[in-house]
Amino acid sequence: MPQTLSTREANLFRTVIRNYEDKQYKRGLKAAEQILKKNPKHGDTMSMKALILNAQGKTEEAFALAKEALTIDMKSYICWHVYGILYRTNKNFDEAIKAYKFALKLEPDSHQIQRDLAILQIQMRDYQGYIQSRFTMLKARPHLRQNWTALAIAYHLDGNLQQAENILTTYEKSINTTPPRTDFEHSEALLYKNSIIAEMGEIERALEHLETDCKRSLDRLAVMELRARYLSQLGRNEEAAKAYRALLDRNSEHPDYYKGLVGALGIAADDEAALKSVYDEYAAKYPRSDAAKRLPLDFLTGDAFRTASKAYLTLMFDKGVPSTFANLKHLYSDPFKRDTLPVLAEEYLRECGSVDEGAGSGDSSKGKGAALYFLAQHYNYHMSRDLARAMEFVDKAIELDPKNVDFHMTKARIYKHQNEIGKAAATMDHARSLDTKDRYINSKAAKYQLRNNANEEALATMGLFTRAETVGGPLADLTDMQCIWYLTEDGEAWQRRGNIGLALKRYHTVFNIFDIWQEDQFDFHTFSLRKGQIRAYVDMVRWEDRLREHPFYFRAALDAVNLYLSMYDKPQGGANGVESGRSQLNGEDAAERKKAAKKAKKEAQKAEREAAEKAARQDPNKAGGASQKSKDGEETKKKDDDPNGTKLAATTDPLGDAMKFLGPLLQFSPKNIEGQIAGFEVYIRRGKYLLALRCLRAALALDRNHPKVQEQVDRLQKALGGALDSLAPKLQEVIKSELALVTAV
Amino acid sequence: MAEDRQPPDLVEGATSGDVEDEVHPTAKSAEDRKAAAALSKLDTHADDEAAPGREVDQEAVKNAMNALGGGGADKKETKKVKVDAADVNLLVEELELSKPRATELLKAHDGNALEAMRAYLQPDF
Repeated sequence: MPQTLSTREANLFRTVIRNYEDKQYKRGLKAAEQILKKNPKHGDTMSMKALILNAQGKTEEAFALAKEALTIDMKSYICWHVYGILYRTNKNFDEAIKAYKFALKLEPDSHQIQRDLAILQIQMRDYQGYIQSRFTMLKARPHLRQNWTALAIAYHLDGNLQQAENILTTYEKSINTTPPRTDFEHSEALLYKNSIIAEMGEIERALEHLETDCKRSLDRLAVMELRARYLSQLGRNEEAAKAYRALLDRNSEHPDYYKGLVGALGIAADDEAALKSVYDEYAAKYPRSDAAKRLPLDFLTGDAFRTASKAYLTLMFDKGVPSTFANLKHLYSDPFKRDTLPVLAEEYLRECGSVDEGAGSGDSSKGKGAALYFLAQHYNYHMSRDLARAMEFVDKAIELDPKNVDFHMTKARIYKHQNEIGKAAATMDHARSLDTKDRYINSKAAKYQLRNNANEEALATMGLFTRAETVGGPLADLTDMQCIWYLTEDGEAWQRRGNIGLALKRYHTVFNIFDIWQEDQFDFHTFSLRKGQIRAYVDMVRWEDRLREHPFYFRAALDAVNLYLSMYDKPQGGANGVESGRSQLNGEDAAERKKAAKKAKKEAQKAEREAAEKAARQDPNKAGGASQKSKDGEETKKKDDDPNGTKLAATTDPLGDAMKFLGPLLQFSPKNIEGQIAGFEVYIRRGKYLLALRCLRAALALDRNHPKVQEQVDRLQKALGGALDSLAPKLQEVIKSELALVTAV
Repeated sequence: MAEDRQPPDLVEGATSGDVEDEVHPTAKSAEDRKAAAALSKLDTHADDEAAPGREVDQEAVKNAMNALGGGGADKKETKKVKVDAADVNLLVEELELSKPRATELLKAHDGNALEAMRAYLQPDF
């Protein structure tokens, strides 16, 4: 039974809450214990104490106490709310939602619980629940615009555009004074409504709404762009052309505006002269504009292309624009253009060779140097590769200016393509030494060191640019800064060196970073609403939904899956006790395996020693480190109990672990055949034939002639030959008919 | 549950040891304090408690609320399809779907497990 507090203690309880909110945990704890001394079975106080303990990082203790509080006082909404908060801070959102709902049942009018619940619902994309919550919140406080907007967002995300618009309109009608022009929230809400109307496909009405209601919007660029788009969608070409011209006058570098203008003018795609004249007009009007000169190269052909690109190259070389090649290499899919550009560059070289030999004493990246640089990149590029010639040109360029970072960087790239990994790393490091203040070349040098399996050197190189005072050294800083490319490359290098633990560790770190990105949206569910930045918020929510499409995720996840596969096929003997009946390897293999395991073990020990030394070295700064910890004191950095990934490598279920990476891989990048192939390999080993078949079907649809895919077809057939009879009858039927489809073609 | 309970003094001991380690939330400089104040503002919900917006016509809002009706969420019509529990389990096991997802998939195919599995095998791009 719940105990009731005396007035003194009730006051003390309020102090506890205040202390918690002010993050004065020590004081709060003391006060809570004071109450508990007199009333040891006061559930609310126990819950508050649990909350404080949780904030101090003592999660398990907190959960135990909160549970105890609940058993004592089941009817207390505070206890349930605290329970929900505990779950929430430990990322168990589903359980948190349940607890909040319970709390809300006990205390239906609590605004705070309702709000917390709503945030969790949108975080978990429970749109129906979110609509309900938002509706309740709106009913409680209809005078706040953000409550209306929030409900509209809920409907919008749920796909009910009509209702979303309706909600926004209803609110607008209830305003009896015109908001001031500077009302940002108002301006954004109108544009948000406009985007909803357009999403419904009612362009005509969207345009009308834009021209009346959004006329005075603060985001003028958005209004102009939307207007131009709507006009051209509606076929009102004359006005659309005008709108795009207005946009080009604001920014003559935006390719989309040119595209829009050309479309509105109704010029045929093959009418080169007419197209060119549009761009020429802007090239003349804005002589410094690059886009107006460069974009025509995309569609021009034959002599017209030669003339235009010659003029463009000459200009770029004279100016010494380092990105010239990068800006043009997309043209190489056209063989004529690919062959023309180097000829022009050599022409340029001959011309300036005769004119200003020695006169280019000023800046070597201009003129001759720029042309040589371009040619070196040209012959290094995969569509026009001739590494010997590339080397020739880059050496000439270096001769011209031995101190140019770009030239040496390209040389390192050429070495890389010649498979001279060591030389490439050394050359890149030399390039780095030429400009030690340039972060870009520093990162490049580290990356090449990693390709050369020199993890330690690479970390030292990266350390030149990380925060010196970070506890845990450069690696900790790179992890904090979510430097994914480094973590992935580092993992791949460790994998090549046979250190499975560290490789897995890095891949898991990358995976966790994506988790963090997903969690990061949490704060924005309230923040964006308060700031009224709705369009950006909706964009963000939708982006978060396909976060793991990112190539960074794909690469690290595929690496991890493949590594787990090889671990399954070749279990590590002895070292971590996964010796199992699976190993039917012959003696030679076993010996090799042992050697590798020994080596890995040695390396792991060495790394551990180093880590321990490092920790010891950092100890004296502990005081300094502590002051850096965030103010609330809750961010006591959790100590990594497996810094070298030994536990990860000791897994007894590599295929199960691989699933964590594989799931999102198949869901978000289904069109990447490498992912499907890896998926098949995992599923067939796990005996999930239907899912293996699914990956195979997808792979076949992507590339029927991929050698690996054909092999997998055979393997699946063979595997099923033995196993089919043991499967469920319904499964057999599906597999038979579907497999026939796969093998028939 | 009794074994979960700990004597209060034990809990006390476990925590008091760490009290010294706790970081004092004291800011070093005025600058820091300002930043901290700004930061903590980010999370407050002061606006929620704001006085009724002056530019809003309370009466109109009330009418608008009434116009919206009671139920926030329109229940989406779900087909009433009988689904065999064995089929659900089969899909959960073989396709590694969650139970609700498997049920949904079955319902979409009128409870026909064969069709559901076939459909799931189709590349979804």
